Amino acid sequence: MRIKKDMKLADVIQMNYMLIPVIHRFGIKLGFGDKTVADVCDENKVDLNFFLQLVNAYHDKDYFPKEELQSIPVREIVNYLKMTHASYLNNTLSEIEQKIELLQSERNEDKKYIPLIRNFFDGYKNELTEHIIYEENTVFPYVLAVEEIIKTQNKNPKNLEMFQSFSIKKYAEGHENVEEKLMDLKIIMIKYLTPPVNITLYHMIIQDLFKLEEDLNYHSRIEDKVLTPKIALMEKAIQNLFQI
Amino acid sequence: MTRYTVIIAEYSCLIRNGLRSILEKLENVDVIQSIQQKEDVCEIVDQLKPDILIVNPNMLPDEYIDVEKSFFQTKNISIILISEDSNVKDKYQADEYIDFQDNQNIIFDKVQHIIHQKIELIPSKHKSNETLSAREKNILKHVALGLTNKEIADQLFISIHTVVTHRKNITQKLGIKSVSGLTVYAILNNLISMDEVK
Repeated sequence: MRIKKDMKLADVIQMNYMLIPVIHRFGIKLGFGDKTVADVCDENKVDLNFFLQLVNAYHDKDYFPKEELQSIPVREIVNYLKMTHASYLNNTLSEIEQKIELLQSERNEDKKYIPLIRNFFDGYKNELTEHIIYEENTVFPYVLAVEEIIKTQNKNPKNLEMFQSFSIKKYAEGHENVEEKLMDLKIIMIKYLTPPVNITLYHMIIQDLFKLEEDLNYHSRIEDKVLTPKIALMEKAIQNLFQI
Repeated sequence: MTRYTVIIAEYSCLIRNGLRSILEKLENVDVIQSIQQKEDVCEIVDQLKPDILIVNPNMLPDEYIDVEKSFFQTKNISIILISEDSNVKDKYQADEYIDFQDNQNIIFDKVQHIIHQKIELIPSKHKSNETLSAREKNILKHVALGLTNKEIADQLFISIHTVVTHRKNITQKLGIKSVSGLTVYAILNNLISMDEVK
């Protein structure tokens, strides 16, 4: 179902609870009563059009934005993606890590296998962190430069150099295998590990991993379906404009 | 189990969504996207690289008849047409066609038939529930110890190509892709001990 501006935000959340962290990243707090999406966006100074595109892309697998693409500033998208990154690094990953540590510190647990899981998760965390740093230090500055060239119709040497040093295609091609380790960890915990004594905690960790994976999938959908095609269009426009 | 990705391209939302809900009953099929506009077909197919494209022939690119399947950059894509005309299959060199009159079981059969063809083409794709062979365990041990394909090939006196094939089969059977994941598996199954890992 397509989410529209005059729907109640509470109904939207009821439809898909995975949107709770999404609205949180926009600074929207729960407890909004019967207010509509438009009201809440207005109160929180959130760009309504962008918000709708974003929640629809999160919510509906078939959502493939086309004409609306032009209207969202790249800066808005990048800001949102950065907020998401921060929430992974500061909250999600460390919460899972804490749970694994907790499991490790329990007295009657098997001392052999838990460190394996912990090392593995550390490895995954480093990989994801590296990927995020790559996006923030290489990809985002690039897409912002592309937007600026389009906006000012002027290629100053700094932006031009940036434009020629990278292309969004390069980014899109390398964007597939980031979740490999996360999926492996789930498989190992489900298929191959004898569960520890504290089974509740163990189950919670697995469920957290599933939620993280789902959220990351949504997140990369924004990168792949909204940001990447938009930048690809802009790249073409710049090439035509300056005959590069 | 290996799941096959499907894209449905069709103008009519009744057919598009109807087909989707039918296919969702199959356990080895994932409908990853549906497309309602002709202009989007090539771009989305090339981007998402599905195993199977189920498409209304009128939504195929106009040049399609001349260049056959090479129009899509995606390799090994199977094309199923949606049509009431049994001639379209040959006309477009498609793999299969679904008639509007087909009932659910016939649609299942047609899609499964395509999947079986794919399995025969890539035999390694369906060896999922088997245990590792002694040879594979040996290879896995070396992988887990952090050796490269070249080093493994040299040590075991086999070609790199053989090592790669074994690794593919190991990943297929265990469902684990990353080297560190395979290492954990190897330790859990006593193929290597924890202190052997660098």
